[in-house]
Amino acid sequence: MNVLLDSVPYLLRGALHTVAIAAAVMLLGTVGGIVVGLLNFTPWPWLRASVTAVVEVVRAVPLLLLIFFIFFGLPALGVKIPTFPAAVLAMALWMAVNTAEVVRGGIQSIAPGQFEAGRSAGLSEVQLMRYVIFPQAVRRMIPPFVGLCTILVKDTSLAAIIGVFELTRAAQETIERTLKSFEIYLAAAAIYFVVCFPLTRLGQRAEARLHRT
Amino acid sequence: MTPAGAGFSWSAIARGLPYLLEGAGLTIMISAVAMVVAAVLGLALAALSQAPGRLARRLVAAYVEIFRNTPLLIQIFIVYFGLPQLGLKLSPFLSGLSALVFYAAAYNTEIFRAGLEAVPRGQLEAARSLGLSAPATLRWITVPQALRISFPALGNNLVSLVKNSSLVSTIGMVELMFVANDISFNNFRTFEIYGTTAVIYVLLVLGLTRLLRAAERRLLRAA
Repeated sequence: MNVLLDSVPYLLRGALHTVAIAAAVMLLGTVGGIVVGLLNFTPWPWLRASVTAVVEVVRAVPLLLLIFFIFFGLPALGVKIPTFPAAVLAMALWMAVNTAEVVRGGIQSIAPGQFEAGRSAGLSEVQLMRYVIFPQAVRRMIPPFVGLCTILVKDTSLAAIIGVFELTRAAQETIERTLKSFEIYLAAAAIYFVVCFPLTRLGQRAEARLHRT
Repeated sequence: MTPAGAGFSWSAIARGLPYLLEGAGLTIMISAVAMVVAAVLGLALAALSQAPGRLARRLVAAYVEIFRNTPLLIQIFIVYFGLPQLGLKLSPFLSGLSALVFYAAAYNTEIFRAGLEAVPRGQLEAARSLGLSAPATLRWITVPQALRISFPALGNNLVSLVKNSSLVSTIGMVELMFVANDISFNNFRTFEIYGTTAVIYVLLVLGLTRLLRAAERRLLRAA
């Protein structure tokens, strides 16, 4: 029990890093994802097809492999990226393609009548997106997006495998010192739970509000 | 043998491919077994949560929330590194498999719960008025329809499971990711090997997705 109490501050330091990584990835990934998601609605078929293909392919790769590829694979080509940026880059890529899917799904769920009405009212495609479609689509994107954020916080644990300091790594280091694997990993799990559970609840409430109107 | 960093090596891919494909086979097998067990567990828990009384519902809800809001990696570590401390020492294979099962089952429970609730009330009423007992109604009316309704979400969970199975490589369980690590750390052709591994995962996932969509369409037609 003493071991547990002594380790909590160190674990919480790791948790802080976890949240920081997740925030950085969320920022990069969301912006990238919105851009890529909107590319699905440009008027050029070749661009739409390429974007769909790239998104589908990158989404099919496990995040762990993305991280390993960027951190271990690229140096063989001469591109050496340190642990923290490599992990953030891989996760931002993951976040971007999954966000792109959420954006695409949200916009496609808007009734075609909205598009027709906007165009017949004389709006340009950009105006249509900006003032009519996107505002409506954003509401529908929120529940799956919150779900993505929850998964992201959990997946930051993968960065520990290449040595990035965050909650899982803090737990591993503590266990190397104390050998109390069960308690420490359980404590780490509890901290992850405390961060993720409110997010899950938020997503469920957003989902409920969506279906109410 | 070319020194590391001396250009792209197709021969490294050719030499590693048989092992990678073996790993892919293991990944498929592990995912299939885990999904079947997790589906049974999920269905049982979903049915349990519909039982009268608050305790059953709360216990199942607690299980679902705990396993969905903690990282799979930590769950794997708890089973493989933590349980031996309590006296339960499992092999990497059993540790990885059980962790995957409990993780996937948590999502399956939610999927089945939603599926069971989505079966129209009229079906249950009709069954009761025909004199079917509660277990018989479940067996012949409710569960088959719930399965059909849940199928797309279950399929998505299977695809996630295939990708998540890569995490068990961290505790030494042999599957595609483990083999990829093994080969590339031996011959340093990390780019070629990890690249090929990515291609294999993409083919696995895209192939599985296509199969699932086809199965969904056939299920819909049979309805």
